[in-house]
Amino acid sequence: MSTEVNRWLGRSLLAASIVLSAFGQLGMKAGMQELHTLATHGVVLTAAAWSELAPTIEWTAAGLAAYGLSLVCWLAVLVRYPLSYAYPLLSLAYVLVYIGATHWERLAETGSALRTAGTLLILAGVALVTVADRRR
Amino acid sequence: MNNALLLLAVLLLASSQILQKVGAARRLQGTHTPREWLRALLSPELVGAVVAILVGTALWLTVLYRMDVSRAFPFLSLGTVAVVAASRLWLGEHVSARRWAGVALIAVGIALVAST
Repeated sequence: MSTEVNRWLGRSLLAASIVLSAFGQLGMKAGMQELHTLATHGVVLTAAAWSELAPTIEWTAAGLAAYGLSLVCWLAVLVRYPLSYAYPLLSLAYVLVYIGATHWERLAETGSALRTAGTLLILAGVALVTVADRRR
Repeated sequence: MNNALLLLAVLLLASSQILQKVGAARRLQGTHTPREWLRALLSPELVGAVVAILVGTALWLTVLYRMDVSRAFPFLSLGTVAVVAASRLWLGEHVSARRWAGVALIAVGIALVAST
């Protein structure tokens, strides 16, 4: 494999780990939220209520699948990059989760100026880690 | 007590990263077939990494369940710093001053994003 292709493969794997890990968190949260709604409405979980449980199971399963896939990509990332370079970049997932949680109507969490400032600090930190020393 | 448990959770999660890196470098590097991948995944390093991440996550969630969330933030940031420090100390990776500065910004950023 040419070094150019290899470099893009490495970057794609890193991006996939970050995005899938964020999707995983959002999916699991959506699933737990469905469960919470069911619980607070006092649904009796009889066989007939299985259809009520479907969204909980679907979102949780989707979240877990994305999270599992992100772990696989992550191992492939670790074959290619130093941990002290790759791990800080994983915190971009916090930024994606924040954007997703506040903009996805299913979760509709409220943001704050302080938390938005936090995402900007993370982005600045990631820029320093990546741009500054050309990795390795 | 809760703080000690959270610290333990963070250390377990950081150890998992170190084990994953060691496993990736020692066992996964240079493998090509599914059979080789499976053998690598069953190596002590990677099995240990999975155990550490499972126990660490379970512990983290248990403690978080019964303590004020805002008090757990510094520990979350600590995790990132711990992984980079351990890469430097135990994996012998070179961490430039700029990378440290980036990590510091990220750590503060995580604490803010996780705040309420």
